[in-house]
Amino acid sequence: MAIVLEGVSKRFAQNGQSVDVLQDVSLTIADGEFVCLLGPSGCGKSTLVYLIAGLEPPTAGRILVDDHPVTGPGTDRVVVFQEAALFPWLTVLGNVEFGLKMAGISPASRQARAYEFIKLVHLGRFAQAYPHQLSGGMKQRVAIARALAMHPKILLMDEPFGALDAQTRQLLQQELLGLWERLKITIFFVTHNVREATVLADKVYEISARPGQIKRQYPIAIPRPRSEHDPRLLTIQQRILGSLEEEIAKVVKEQVDAEYILAPRGPVVPADRNLGSHI
Amino acid sequence: MWPGVPAASTTARLVAERLTDPTFLTALAGSLRRMAIGYATVVVIGIGAGLTLGRFRAMDDLLGTLAVVINAMPGAAWVPFAIALFGLTEFAIIFTIVLGATGIVVINTSAGIKDVPPLLLQAGRTMGARGTKQFWHVIVPAAMPRIVDGLRLAWAFGWRALMAGELLVASVRGMGQFISQMAKTRQMPELVALMLIIAMVGVLVDGLVFRRLERSIRVRWGTAS
Repeated sequence: MAIVLEGVSKRFAQNGQSVDVLQDVSLTIADGEFVCLLGPSGCGKSTLVYLIAGLEPPTAGRILVDDHPVTGPGTDRVVVFQEAALFPWLTVLGNVEFGLKMAGISPASRQARAYEFIKLVHLGRFAQAYPHQLSGGMKQRVAIARALAMHPKILLMDEPFGALDAQTRQLLQQELLGLWERLKITIFFVTHNVREATVLADKVYEISARPGQIKRQYPIAIPRPRSEHDPRLLTIQQRILGSLEEEIAKVVKEQVDAEYILAPRGPVVPADRNLGSHI
Repeated sequence: MWPGVPAASTTARLVAERLTDPTFLTALAGSLRRMAIGYATVVVIGIGAGLTLGRFRAMDDLLGTLAVVINAMPGAAWVPFAIALFGLTEFAIIFTIVLGATGIVVINTSAGIKDVPPLLLQAGRTMGARGTKQFWHVIVPAAMPRIVDGLRLAWAFGWRALMAGELLVASVRGMGQFISQMAKTRQMPELVALMLIIAMVGVLVDGLVFRRLERSIRVRWGTAS
């Protein structure tokens, strides 16, 4: 399913003043494409997910999904949130069944479908467990299974692996790629981790800080599976990092002190740094 | 020690005696029956009203303050009102329990409904939970810890209201009637033994039912401290 954003802006009222979170964002995501949106914390990345999901209306501009304007949430676009957002009163199975139950699917067939997706994320043994009994990585697996069980055309992911340790994160990245190739869905993935974006995406959009605008885009035509040490990947990462540093400096200036001066950059910046989260 | 307050050993003996005394057990059963009827009414009215107030803003504007006022009233203060309305009857006692304990259930239930984490609502909405479905499948379960908090407090409030009611409506056979007789005849050791039993029943129900329920819910909902 193709997603088209035309001149999308979002303004929030905050403490009596209005803040422009997103300004004139236009982009097109092709059917089946894996797109990452990369930018420093507080640049409106999550807001863009909420707009596409239909959880919030844009202040200006249009969002089209397969030529139909988005007017509210729809089960063709399901969101995986950073904090998993599982329902604590339901088991893993109950959580994965939830959307199917809302859709009025019969208990037998929704349970069968839920099991299928629970197995797909390797949690078969934990179908009867409650979310509080699971680790952070397992919770995200459930969140992914819960979203995919809806058979969405688009998966919207808002820093889904942001709170996980490096090993779990890498594992889930690989599994997500496997699921994406198998299910042929469109994925819009928000992150502030440069390596994550370049390992995953067909195309990386860089978004600037306040107001959030698409600054550059980086097509990544490297075939998968990609090695993290692939020199082509490292080159792209360094280009993105160079460009992002300006944005981070902007955020720091705004938040800390207008006289902040960016320290000269060393030759290599680790790409696995969580940009912006250290500010 | 205070004059006339019995030794622990005497009290223990009297407690045991009472708990095997059929007359007393009949009175205890009467009290528990009234409590059960009153509490069941509290649960039904309290949760029903709380869900309504939480769901409909207009209802909350209209009746929210009433729930706060009713809740601010000590249960015992309803007894004269109940007697004036219904006379020295069992119904007056049950009425006291209901008015003494419903407010806290209403307040907690509606607060729980209003305080559902936005993230859960959003997750539900992206999966098609809206309107009535959202209410029953997301909002009410998410509010459950607060609802149970209210039910637990209501048990304690109701237990107090029951005793206040029974003390003043002394014609009805129950624990209150027993206690007042002991007080009038100044039988301090028996009186203390009875008070102990009343406290024990309160602690027992709270510990066996509500603490367990609350604990299991807090663990599951991830709000255990």
